[in-house]
Amino acid sequence: MAKDTPPDPSALFRDWVTQWERNFDSLANQFMGTEGFSQAMNEFQKSQLNAQRMFAETMTQILTNLNMPTRDDVLRLSEAVAGLDRRLERIEESLGNGPASQPTPVKRPPRTKQPPAELREAAAASQGGNGKKKAAQKKSKEKSNE
Amino acid sequence: MSESSPLDANILETMQTFVQRTIARGRRSIELANAPPQPVGLTPKDVLYTRGTLRLYHYHPLSDEVYRVPVLLVMATTNKAFVFDLAPGQSMVEYLLKKGFDVYVIDWDPPTQEERGLTLADYTQDFIPTCIDRIVADSGEPDVSVIGYCMGGILSLIYAATHTDGPLKNLVCLTTPLNMHGMGLTQTWNDPRYFDVDRLVDTLGVVPAEAVTQMFEMQRPAQRVAGQLRLWDQMFDDEFVKSYRAFQRWGDETLPLAGEYMRETTKELSWGNKLYTGELVVGGREAKIANVTVPLLSIVAEHDHLAPRDSTKALLDKVGSTDKEEILLKGGHVSLIAGPNAVRRMWPALNAWLSVRST
Repeated sequence: MAKDTPPDPSALFRDWVTQWERNFDSLANQFMGTEGFSQAMNEFQKSQLNAQRMFAETMTQILTNLNMPTRDDVLRLSEAVAGLDRRLERIEESLGNGPASQPTPVKRPPRTKQPPAELREAAAASQGGNGKKKAAQKKSKEKSNE
Repeated sequence: MSESSPLDANILETMQTFVQRTIARGRRSIELANAPPQPVGLTPKDVLYTRGTLRLYHYHPLSDEVYRVPVLLVMATTNKAFVFDLAPGQSMVEYLLKKGFDVYVIDWDPPTQEERGLTLADYTQDFIPTCIDRIVADSGEPDVSVIGYCMGGILSLIYAATHTDGPLKNLVCLTTPLNMHGMGLTQTWNDPRYFDVDRLVDTLGVVPAEAVTQMFEMQRPAQRVAGQLRLWDQMFDDEFVKSYRAFQRWGDETLPLAGEYMRETTKELSWGNKLYTGELVVGGREAKIANVTVPLLSIVAEHDHLAPRDSTKALLDKVGSTDKEEILLKGGHVSLIAGPNAVRRMWPALNAWLSVRST
């Protein structure tokens, strides 16, 4: 009997989490969907970018004076090495040794598969009577529940 | 002494279960704290082609015969394609292979600073056509079906609109937002009066993954905490934990965006809404989606917060195809393509539509 079954704490917890998430998101979205929020968020981003640019310029100046590479220099170097690596891969590929040119030998099945009869019939029915190909513009919505 | 009632026995059993699960949760939490990342993308494949940010995979067949027309999945530029192949039994790729499709996937690596100048033209007039040429050569078939997810759907649409005499056989758009003015919060935050995309791109070159993740997570700010609470609750369930960790890894491996591509998508697609209005020009070619005449399937999710219904519903009316269909399913932006919801709803619907058009 239902009244002999105590409430499952896990189920209660799950329901509470779902409800909390829904309510929190809904409230937050109302707040974040305003023009004021968009303006404030983008102003904050601008000030962050300005600070980042100023800091980067200052650091570049300091590192240049110290004869040391900047982050951009290191990134450029890393990308140059990666570029060389890619070129080497392409050369290896053209010589027949590259990974892309040596796929795992796999037996390729014949391209003869036909859709199952029930799918063919369903498609024919949705495209018009007697299987006649007809312009089909259809919008469908699944009715089943979660 | 009085006999214990059935209610007492039930309370005792509930308490026992609760304590056992709490102990199991504690033990599992310690295991997970030191666990390596959840393995993903396990379906056997070959890398057919790579160039910079682009990777083209070809998956090994899992059926004795395949449909004549190969299928190319185009991933959104913001995320890794392993969401199509999360784990055995939870893999859209594996499902399609078992149903008899020959599957290729376009995946993206993080663009480097060297690639910050990539534009929509690179993605739609170079990367996708090159991959399709490779697939035609590899498969020996003259035509290819394309399935694009989210922004991958937009790129596929632009490709289709600008390559009307190309080898495209069928086009499937999954949660593809066409009308950017129906994008809800994203559109509000991208307000051209406040959002300085030039400053962002000129300062950073490549837009960091953290900024992209933040944009996604801000739309559902409680999602991460609620997810962790659900994980704690289900910690003793191995399948749940594996699935959670795979999705978590996918979310954590969000990709940065090439700056010029970000600038162009913001100005042309988001602000100008030019793909929707038919005014978009990419690489000197008019990208009017009215020019898309191949059979088209649009699958959209009822509770999609990233591509809301207002942004997706115009697609069918705008394309020039006569054989076109939209399927609206329960679920959200990600649960449409991966997870139990996808296994039950989207994958069978996709198979039913595509199989009869793949011979």
